[in-house]
Amino acid sequence: MQNKSLNIGILIIGFLTIIAILAPLVSPFDPSVIDQDSLLMPPSLKHFLGTDTLGRDLFSRIVFGARISLGIGLVAVGIATLVGLILGAVAGFYGGRIDGLIMRFVDIMLCFPTFYLILAVAAILGPSIFNIMIIVGLTSWMGVARLVRGEILSLKEREFIQAEKSIGASNLRIIIRHLIPNAIGPVLVSATLGIGGAILLESGLSFLGLGVQPPTPSWGNILIESKSTLGVAWWITVFPGLAILTTILGFNLIAEGLKKKMGS
Amino acid sequence: MITYIFRRLFGLLPMLFGITLISFMVIKLAPGKPVMLQYSLNPKISLDEIKRLEKIEGFDKPLYVQYFNWLGNLSRFNFGRSISDGRFVMDKIVERLPVTLSINILSLFLIFLIAVPWGVRSALKQGSTFDRVSTLVMFLLFAAPTFWLALLLMQLFCIQFGWLPISGITALDFEHFNWWQKVFDIGRHLFLPVLVSALAGFAGICRYMRSNMIEALQQPYIYTARAKGLSENKIIYKHALRNALLPIVTILGLSLPGLLGGSIIFESIFAIPGIGRLFYEAAMMRDINLIMAEIILVAVLTMLGNLIADVLYAYVDPRIRYKK
Amino acid sequence: MEVKNLKVEFFSNKSLVPVIDGATFFIKKDEILVLAGESGSGKTLTALSITKILPNNAIITAGSAKFMGVDLLTMDEKALTDIRGREIAYIFQEPTSYLNPVFTVGDQIAEVIMLHQNKNKLDAFNEVKELLSLVKIKDPQRVLSSYPHQLSGGMNQRVFLAMALACKPKLLIADEPTTALDVTIEAQILQLLLDLKKTMGFSLLFITHNLSIAKKIADRICVMCKGKIVEEGSVDKIFDTPEHFHTRELINAYEKIGRL
Repeated sequence: MQNKSLNIGILIIGFLTIIAILAPLVSPFDPSVIDQDSLLMPPSLKHFLGTDTLGRDLFSRIVFGARISLGIGLVAVGIATLVGLILGAVAGFYGGRIDGLIMRFVDIMLCFPTFYLILAVAAILGPSIFNIMIIVGLTSWMGVARLVRGEILSLKEREFIQAEKSIGASNLRIIIRHLIPNAIGPVLVSATLGIGGAILLESGLSFLGLGVQPPTPSWGNILIESKSTLGVAWWITVFPGLAILTTILGFNLIAEGLKKKMGS
Repeated sequence: MITYIFRRLFGLLPMLFGITLISFMVIKLAPGKPVMLQYSLNPKISLDEIKRLEKIEGFDKPLYVQYFNWLGNLSRFNFGRSISDGRFVMDKIVERLPVTLSINILSLFLIFLIAVPWGVRSALKQGSTFDRVSTLVMFLLFAAPTFWLALLLMQLFCIQFGWLPISGITALDFEHFNWWQKVFDIGRHLFLPVLVSALAGFAGICRYMRSNMIEALQQPYIYTARAKGLSENKIIYKHALRNALLPIVTILGLSLPGLLGGSIIFESIFAIPGIGRLFYEAAMMRDINLIMAEIILVAVLTMLGNLIADVLYAYVDPRIRYKK
Repeated sequence: MEVKNLKVEFFSNKSLVPVIDGATFFIKKDEILVLAGESGSGKTLTALSITKILPNNAIITAGSAKFMGVDLLTMDEKALTDIRGREIAYIFQEPTSYLNPVFTVGDQIAEVIMLHQNKNKLDAFNEVKELLSLVKIKDPQRVLSSYPHQLSGGMNQRVFLAMALACKPKLLIADEPTTALDVTIEAQILQLLLDLKKTMGFSLLFITHNLSIAKKIADRICVMCKGKIVEEGSVDKIFDTPEHFHTRELINAYEKIGRL
């Protein structure tokens, strides 16, 4: 029972990462190769997960899609965490009016419907992998900011009292040196969950046609075809979705495991 | 209580200001001058005409004046005209509102009807097979993309079983149905969207209810209830449940924006003429007025939803309602 | 009440850990027995176990608890719900947390009346008012429509007392009822308890770690240490000639603080 979640989660995500990195080596076919002879073939020995409407091997597409989705997730969350860290730290550290202003900003940003915003911006600025990363990142930093600010505030209570007793100088150093080990836990949990969330957002966006553009495969945009092949090719619906499910499950499990580790 | 509400409402004003300000900036930052966007489809317009139109619409005035004019319009719910057909944006939104609203309300109802008892049961049978299987299922539901579930269910119910129609909210010959047939038809069409929508929110509330219930059952007053000789049922359903349900009330309030928000994705999948789909169409058309209108509406509703959640909770919990 | 060889164990990390290890004591009719011991000695658990009120991971593995000749530990839940609240009642250490925050105090007292005495709501509430006057609450109407958090600790303990005595129990088990209260209130509540005992007539099992209270009110004292009853006897005997070293420790502790 000892952190089964963490272990399974790491297993899943580790496996996925390896596949994503070694994509060209792992996939039996080139994901963009169109094969007129094998349109919409069900799973077979040759094509493990079948082929799509253009005869492309689904397995290869999903493997390459892993690269895209994981990549976007990581970068987006990286941006979000960075922004959140900075804003949260500034708010917590300086307190007073700056704190109030930043927190108000957080509250306001939290009111906006994330997916609506992302969709709108993707539509207006044009969908591209780069844009998606930035947009998702810039709409997901609020939680991290609050976390970091909270940590700093509670640390200020403790450290300042000690700092006044001792040197008094270099309290900035003290805070930074103590902040990181303390705050890193919740921030890590938040980031892990965030990657799952970002992947979910990206797949939704791609599904609507405003995310990763074909022919670059993304789990979301592979699913676009499933709409038109519903009764005919179940594999096009099932496998990409399963990929998303497993990935997010993996990240959530890691997050659960981390929480358990910290909670004790 | 009333003063509390008023104080909170007052505190919302700066937030409102912030929301509108940010929205206004986004509108202004969108590439392409608004007038150009609107009339770019008409090649006969000359540059002078465009300048004249700009003057009429007030685009030549300084930004802060534009902002206040825009705010004034907003307060009268005038979000401008839609680019695609020139109709007032508000009209388009209002006309799509009932569909989205009904789906969301129904799905919310469904969620609470099932998730709350399920959560309670999980809490009571903590650690049992039921509980562990439930936890697994919830975890999976949480991780699954809802639009994928929608697709899967569509495959199952519409294609495989042929029980339910794939899209829209009415059949082609809806006009010819009698009243009962109409109700049944709409019901058939809405079944899957409501179900999928409910599945999305189900896991969260179920888990929340479970942990609330577990916590309530560990409180000291449960020992008192037992010491008084109350039956197990009374202890669970009267003493513990009442406490566990309190925070759920806040969830109701927080669901408010979701009610009107409408999921873009599955409204598209199911071809439901609702607000979400409207937004998608607006996004594809770069219809900036419509886009911003929906965003602002949902943002304001989110703000209000938070307030309502807090107020509801303050009302329902005697510890807050009657302060010493 | 006669408790023989009570053993209660806890599930912890897939093994059973004994917490109460063969406790034996008795209470005579109309007697005040003080169960004394340090925190963690198992006093509260003992008190709850005799009516089979146990936390989730605890289990009674041996012993008997005979109340007026009948072993409670062999009774089923349904029979026990009849005894709890009516024949045996409890008051606890922190009255405010042991009262349900979402119901009025009046509701909670009326609940036990309606449960055991088959009265309707109106009669029950009238009786609630009488009970509140009995515990020397000056404004019963206001108090019964208040919520626990609106009342002070002392007030809540009176309410609790009213609730416990509502059905005229034969045995009242009081688990450190004054530990969480201010000293002046403590004295009032103790006096109230003793007065009510005289007028209503019930046996009292009083649990405490404070030996000065024990000296004042007890007829007999049982000393509990690490789940076992290590010494038992009348007040005088215990204080004059304590046998067990733990008893002596407890007495010493209080002598040092000059309480005795």
